Order: sequence, then structure tokens, then C-alpha cells
Amino acid sequence: MDISTMFSTMSVGMLRSFGIFVLTLVGSLPLGMVVALLKKSRFVVVRAITSAYITVIRGTPLMLQLLVWYFGPFYLFGMNIGNWRFPALILGFVLNYAAYFAEIYRGGIESIPVGQYEACEVLGYTKTQTFMRVILPQVIKRIMPSVTNEVITLVKDTSLAFTLAYQEVFSLAKQISASQTSFMPFVIAGIFYFVANYIVEFVMKRIEKSMGYYK
Amino acid sequence: MLNMNRRQFISAGMLFAAPTVLGLVGCGGSSSASSGAASGDAYGEGYTFKHGFDQEYPPYSFIDDNGQTTGFDVELAQAVCKHYGWEYQAVPFNWDAKDAELQAGSCDCIWSGFTVNGREDDYLWSKTYSDNVQMILVKKGSEIKTLADLAGKKVGVQTATSAFQMLDAEGEQEELAKTFGKLEVYPDYTTAFTELKAGAIDAIAIDVTAGNHLIDGETDYEYLAEELGNEQYAIGFRKEDTALCDKINEALDALAADGTVAEIASHYPEIEEYITLGK
Repeated sequence: MDISTMFSTMSVGMLRSFGIFVLTLVGSLPLGMVVALLKKSRFVVVRAITSAYITVIRGTPLMLQLLVWYFGPFYLFGMNIGNWRFPALILGFVLNYAAYFAEIYRGGIESIPVGQYEACEVLGYTKTQTFMRVILPQVIKRIMPSVTNEVITLVKDTSLAFTLAYQEVFSLAKQISASQTSFMPFVIAGIFYFVANYIVEFVMKRIEKSMGYYK
Repeated sequence: MLNMNRRQFISAGMLFAAPTVLGLVGCGGSSSASSGAASGDAYGEGYTFKHGFDQEYPPYSFIDDNGQTTGFDVELAQAVCKHYGWEYQAVPFNWDAKDAELQAGSCDCIWSGFTVNGREDDYLWSKTYSDNVQMILVKKGSEIKTLADLAGKKVGVQTATSAFQMLDAEGEQEELAKTFGKLEVYPDYTTAFTELKAGAIDAIAIDVTAGNHLIDGETDYEYLAEELGNEQYAIGFRKEDTALCDKINEALDALAADGTVAEIASHYPEIEEYITLGK
């Protein structure tokens, strides 16, 4: 197999990896905010459930969680999991990353001085207005470096999809390497992840810059 | 104060409850999901046959030079589908997870250089179609000439393969494995072969067919004359899927009779002599 065939075979996998990446971000970035707010809820039970969710998700390997989401429906309920592979994968990734994002958001929200809330109250802002117009814009600026970190990790974590035999770029690299007894597929996969992360870093830097309007 | 305690109590309770729920997954019942009704025409024309296989097991199932999924088992499965007018669906899985995939119904069978010996009662088996000999692969000119010479040496093997099971606890060659300096277990043979080349290990225990593919014309490697073991390949089904198993057996006979099997085998010279179907 020449390099160009290898590359074109793996490019299908690259698209799939990219698909996991995008769907995970689309799902987990908003969900993380919901989780972060639930963790600050007035209700004890809601707070407890949210904490437990974050503790379990952060305390177990993502690889294991993917296996649980994929095989769980069968082992627990005896369901046929014929077309469940991809949904299980996305579910696992989204729930995992949402937990990490939630903690990043919470850190950001709690870093805003109480004085600002008091000032808003004096000025007659409602709670929603306070959060949306005063707190959130500052939070987003502060958490950008941590979010970038997480997004870069996600690019590399998409390779964990191989545990469910989803044919993304890393699975394909393993398989082509097995049939061709060659290390080249891994080099191509490595370059793919590096370039992807280079782009992520570039984009995130631009976003950070565009938000530095008070500097 | 009372309020605080109650909160702590509840959140502590949740902490323990959640892993327990997750834990259930591990020990859940083994009620199996049978796919499709077992009625006579369940496997009629248009049935989607879900072929479960390891995409990293050349020459039985692998990615070829053009980037296509192929192999002896894949081509044969496709021929069976053509025979019955079935739709062929490839379900590549991780070899470690093959049983869960089969029982959970994501595939109809495990058909990927699958060894019968030692697993006789675990699956419903089709007729055997290929012999499979386990050998020891060494560098040419190595001081290792017999199985006894392996004492104190580092031997590589791929996890969950028949060569591995043979050398593992309660395997046929467990005693031999105990004489090794170390049994290195790899996720795939490609890595093991690279390490053999680099001199990190002294020998590889492998199915001869997979070994032939690995060597791929390189002349610096040879097998020991002594065999490690001898087994047969067949297709593994869920135990209740007798109707499907019968259909596949019929098709295998028909394809052997009309020369299709021999034709497919000729695409894979490294395993041709081991195919027993129709001989």
C-alpha cells in the first residue's frame, strides 16, 4: 500500500474523528453550564446528584465509561445493541466532557467577587440579568485557557473511540498497521492529531484576543 | 446544624449509590438478545447478515492494499450472502470484546480465524473450514532450534489468540510457558514482530497462517520444526441461532462444491494449503 492510498483510507477515519470532536463540543459545552448551575442549586438533592455525577465521571476512565454506555443496555436490560455503537460513543464523550467543563465554569463563576452581585442588586438588576450581562462575560474570558486545554485533550481523546471499534483514525491506523506490518499509519495519525491541535490552538488564541477588549 | 448533617448524609448516600448502579452493569444477568425470529423464512432473501470480525487479523480479515476490508473470511462471508441474496454488513469489533458483541446482538456470528479448540461448549459452531497450526517464529540463525531451547528466553504473543491461550494458565503448553524467561503479551502481532526485529524478544508464538502474513516474503525469519499446537477454525454463533448456523453450513458445502471456496483460497497463497473445506 503506498502512502497516498494509506492517507486516503485514513482520511475517512479523520472525518469520523472530527465528527466525534464536533458533536462532543456541541453537546458538552452547553451541558457543562447546566451542570455547573445545578451544582449551585438551592435544592440539596439536586446539588448532591450533580456532585455525585461529577465525582463518578471524573473518578473513572473514559475508556471504561464508553464500554458501559455501549454494552450497558444489553447487560442491564437485555436490549439488542445493533445500531447503538455511535450514539453510545457520543453519549459517553458528551457526559464525560460536560463534567469537566462544569467544574471549569464553576471555578470561573466563583472567581467573581461577591461585591459585583451586591452592586447589581443595588442597581436593580434581576438575578438573570446579573448573571447574563455582568458575570458570564467575565467568566468566559477567565476560563478560556482552561477550556482550550480541555478542547486539546478532547482532540486526542477521540482516539479512545477505538475501544468500541468505531473506525476512526486511530482504529484504522492500528488495522492498516496490522495488515501492512508498517509503522507509517501511526505516523500519519500522529501528524493528523498534531495538525488538528495546532488549528485548535490558533483558533482559541484568536478568540481570546478578540475578547481582550478592555486590555 | 441539623440541616448540614442532612445534606452531608444525602450527598454521601449519592456517592455510594452511583457506583453501585454502575457496578450492576458488571454483574448483570446474561439474558441474551436473540436477533430476529427463529422462524423458517427469517433468513430469506434480503436478510442483513452481520459479519462480526477482527479487522486486524490478516489474511482472514484485514484492510488490503487499496484500503478495502477483505480477507479469506470476509470474501467467504460475502460469497455466502451472494448465495442466499442476503445483504452483507461488516461489523468490525475489538477481539477482546467479541463475546459481548455477539451476545448483545451487534453481529450474527464471530467469523475471523476463530479457533474451536478449547471453546467447544461456548458457542454454536459451524463446520470447521481451516486448519490452524501454532508455531514458534525466530530470526534465522537464532540459537533456538527446539521448543526446549526457549527456556529462559523472551517470547512474544498477541493477547486473546489461540497461541496465547495455549501458553496461558490451564493451556496445553502451560508447562512450556513456565520455562520461558518471560512471556510478553502484545495487543497485536505487528508490535511483537517489530520487537523481534529489534531484538527486544527472542521468539514469537503465533498461528502459522498469521505468521506467514507477518513475514510477507522476508527471508530473515523461520519457524521451529516442532509445532506448538494444532487447531481448527470455524464460525461461532449464539447457541440459539441453530437455523442460521444450518443455513451457513449448507452454503459452505454448496460453495465448496462449485469451486468458489478454492477460488477465494487462491487469493491467499499463505493459507491455501490449510483450508480444509471441500477437501
